[in-house]
Amino acid sequence: MSTVALDSFVAELDRLKADAVGTLATALDADAVERARVEFLGAKSGRLKAIQKMLGGLAGPDKPAGGKHFNEAKEAVATALEAALARVAGAAEAVEAIDVTLPGEPVRLGHLHPITQTIRRVQEIMGRLGFESVDGPEIEDQWHNFDALAIGPEHPARDPLDNFYLAVARGADPLLLRSQTSTVQIRVMERRKPPLRIVSLGRVYRPDTADATHYPMFHQVEGLFVEPGTTMAHLKSVLRLFASSFLGGDVHVRFRPSFFPFTEPSVEVDMEWGGRWIEMGGAGMVDPAVLAAVGYDPDEVSGFAFGLGVERIAARRYGVADIRDFYRNDVRFLEQF
Amino acid sequence: MIISLNWLADYVQIQAPAEALVERLLMAGLNHEATETVGADTAVEIEVTSNRPDCLGHIGVAREVALLFSRPLHVPDPRPLEGPGRAAESVAVEIRSPDVCPFYSARVIRGVRIGPSPQWLVDRLATVGVESVNNVVDVTNYVMLECGQPLHAFDLAKLRGGRIVVRRAVDGEPFTAINHKTYALTGQMCVIADAERPVALAGVMGGADTEISAGTADVLLESAQFAPLAVRAAARGLVLQSASSYRFERMPDPAAVEWASRRAAALILETAGGTLEHGVATAGTLAGAQATVPLRPGRVAEVLGIDVPAARQHAILAGLGFVDTSRGDPALEPGHWRAPTWRRDVSREIDLVEEITRIEGYDRVPEDRSISARPVELSAREVAIRTASSVLVGVGFCEAMTRSVVSETLEASASPWGGAAPLVVQPALVRGADRLRRTLLPSLVEARAGNLAVGAPHGELFEVARAYVARGGAGGTDDSPMEEPLLAAFVTGGGFFAAKGVVEAVLDRLGVRRGGGAIACRPLDLDLFTRGRAAEFVLTHGSRPPQRVAVIGDMAPAVLAAAGIAATVTGAEIRLDRLEFAVNADRTLRRPSDYPAVERDVNLVVAETVPWADIAAAIHAAAGPVLEQCRIVQVWQDAERLGAGKKSVVVTLRLRSDAGTLSGDEANRVVQTVVEACSRAVGATLRA
Repeated sequence: MSTVALDSFVAELDRLKADAVGTLATALDADAVERARVEFLGAKSGRLKAIQKMLGGLAGPDKPAGGKHFNEAKEAVATALEAALARVAGAAEAVEAIDVTLPGEPVRLGHLHPITQTIRRVQEIMGRLGFESVDGPEIEDQWHNFDALAIGPEHPARDPLDNFYLAVARGADPLLLRSQTSTVQIRVMERRKPPLRIVSLGRVYRPDTADATHYPMFHQVEGLFVEPGTTMAHLKSVLRLFASSFLGGDVHVRFRPSFFPFTEPSVEVDMEWGGRWIEMGGAGMVDPAVLAAVGYDPDEVSGFAFGLGVERIAARRYGVADIRDFYRNDVRFLEQF
Repeated sequence: MIISLNWLADYVQIQAPAEALVERLLMAGLNHEATETVGADTAVEIEVTSNRPDCLGHIGVAREVALLFSRPLHVPDPRPLEGPGRAAESVAVEIRSPDVCPFYSARVIRGVRIGPSPQWLVDRLATVGVESVNNVVDVTNYVMLECGQPLHAFDLAKLRGGRIVVRRAVDGEPFTAINHKTYALTGQMCVIADAERPVALAGVMGGADTEISAGTADVLLESAQFAPLAVRAAARGLVLQSASSYRFERMPDPAAVEWASRRAAALILETAGGTLEHGVATAGTLAGAQATVPLRPGRVAEVLGIDVPAARQHAILAGLGFVDTSRGDPALEPGHWRAPTWRRDVSREIDLVEEITRIEGYDRVPEDRSISARPVELSAREVAIRTASSVLVGVGFCEAMTRSVVSETLEASASPWGGAAPLVVQPALVRGADRLRRTLLPSLVEARAGNLAVGAPHGELFEVARAYVARGGAGGTDDSPMEEPLLAAFVTGGGFFAAKGVVEAVLDRLGVRRGGGAIACRPLDLDLFTRGRAAEFVLTHGSRPPQRVAVIGDMAPAVLAAAGIAATVTGAEIRLDRLEFAVNADRTLRRPSDYPAVERDVNLVVAETVPWADIAAAIHAAAGPVLEQCRIVQVWQDAERLGAGKKSVVVTLRLRSDAGTLSGDEANRVVQTVVEACSRAVGATLRA
């Protein structure tokens, strides 16, 4: 019985493997793949079958190595066959191909107004700091819009030309569209006792002539924090947390002295944005007169308050040069938010 | 307020460059607006808050600078030489309206030569943006800009009767100001008159008839106090604001009334010659008491969160002109500080704390204090707003923000929410818009029209806002003086039923049913909508009387015509404040049935006037809990096949039980019950 050298057996296997993989890889359709399958893996006269027969001719000690080589080759051809089958099957489906570059069917999504989005962002950040959002009437009386906020009867802020007074009064008390959302803070303080952390928000009204930076109707967000032992350091720390969250990063805040009737000391708040100090709003310690007006004892509790102009923040955040655009209600504008 | 740095240097000299000065003032409360080089001088524009009239003059700013830079302050002490004659004999001053003019003083300078001002005076005024007029007028302006007290110079020869009478104007009295415009005065305004007519509008502007001119020889120099509100009302009423009215509105330093008069007299003698008569003609009493304010030790630390040493507090207050009148130990007992005449804004302890902090600098206040954690929830109202908005955004609406105050045209229709007539505001928000709206829909229709006009992709808009109605029978939901329904409104071109689907989705998402509310939809007749194409949603909840919670309809032709829209627009408005109750309702799972559903079609023939709601109610009541869904398949009419005035309503009932698979017989029994019920309730017959 003739014997087969292991070397020539392995060489024969490699040749077969190379032929099979090459043929299968270049088979164009299912028929060609089938022909290749019969040629290499055919049960009766496939070339692999023929080589398998040579296995018996290997010398005894070479048999295990030969068997291992044979199995590897067989597996490689089987894998190539599978790949070829999958490829030609895919090619058949691709006959009914679509132009995937055609546009998708449009889904019309709505959009929240950028002012709403800005308010929600502020609410969300302040919520994390324990401030609850509150709401109150837009038509107000003298007490809540002025007196309780330490804006006395002689104060120019009460000027009829600077407010929208209602033609009908409730008794002797003239009513007006609120000129600030601090009114809501008064209403909450009248009802509740400290500790208190709230943000009041909503529309306010002042008779400014509409231009790129003014509109007679606008939005405010005002925060109020009343607890025993509250100091300006708490105010600055809370605003810093707010600024860092709102603007991102570790943002510093700067206070500049200012004047508001219902806070003292009063400050303008600047936040560092893009290497510059940007004016964000006003703040201060709640004036003792305001605490007294709602029945709190200014020697027992103290608090701070701050206010942000929503249009101003939104305009800066979105690059809106003219705040009147916020009220034009043009869908082409609204769809960008 | 514009500051000339050369001028400032008369009172305080500092080494620091302009930038450092500006920065330090900014951080002490005088906000920087602009810096400009004017010739050899520098003009610095600062913003002065309304509580600081002292800084509406160079000396006031210099006082701040002196303290901030620890430099001495030099304030001139004018002692003009007095000559023959007595002012009190040359002119008689009388105040008839002491409420608007507490004090009036007049000096008399005779024999002046009116001419151009010296160059230094021209230059300084030019730096601060004031045009030179003549030597006497320039001096009055200069002194005002120096100390904040406005002055006025009259040509004495033109004052008739040698009298000054401070009185209220007569209604309609004409007055020609130095701008040569004539104004009709009102009885509220205060004027300076001579024996016959007004010669100045008090605190606002002098008159043309008596102004200083080339021929003026004798000058009457006015320095007075006027009530802020009166000056403000007059200036605003006539739209005649001036540097003088600006300062009087903020109440200048009472002590400056006399100082300014002497200072101006001295400068007039220097620049225009002449002789100053002895003394001053006055009337009234100078207003302005000085407060003595206590300051407890430790109070600054309690407000700021950091301490400022007692000695430093003392130095700051003294530097600002406060006088320590306390006797005890400042570390243990409250100090008592008398406020300077120019700081009438300081009357309480907290005012002193602010002064100390302002000068010490807010930079010292730390920004690293921690606050305790506190859980917060969104209010039911906020949840309702967000829920409604998210549904509307989800189905493709853009959120609009329209004006709360609208024109008469937009407020012509009756409101779904009551209020016989709209509330009116004064002034108008924008031209012609002075009505508080009682519904958002006309505004949204207008906004939709705007989008159509500019060819925007669509005009599907919603808004969440309040309407306003006078308190009538129906009470509001909060403590507002007027009722303010909170509305989510939208307009769409998608048709009535598409809009109704959206309303139903909002009500569903709010959880009205889960919250125990039952909604009925009924026809509505309201002139806001097209007749026969509008409905209201009425809520029944608990023991409360049924309430309207939403309206929907095709907008009335008149509303569309006013907006210039030809196509149909459907509008809906949902009253969120009446639906807040639902958002907190518990969600309890109803486990889906494991058993298959059975469907049965039922073809009911009813009179064409029978509304679907009645049929549906009968079906639901009869079928009971196994009715999973009742769907309309078809509604059709055919006089021949069904009979005149009849319609066929084909519905599919989907039945499913939680307890087991429904058999065909069981399903058929349910159908039988349904048909019988419909027969009783709406006269339905079954069409095979």
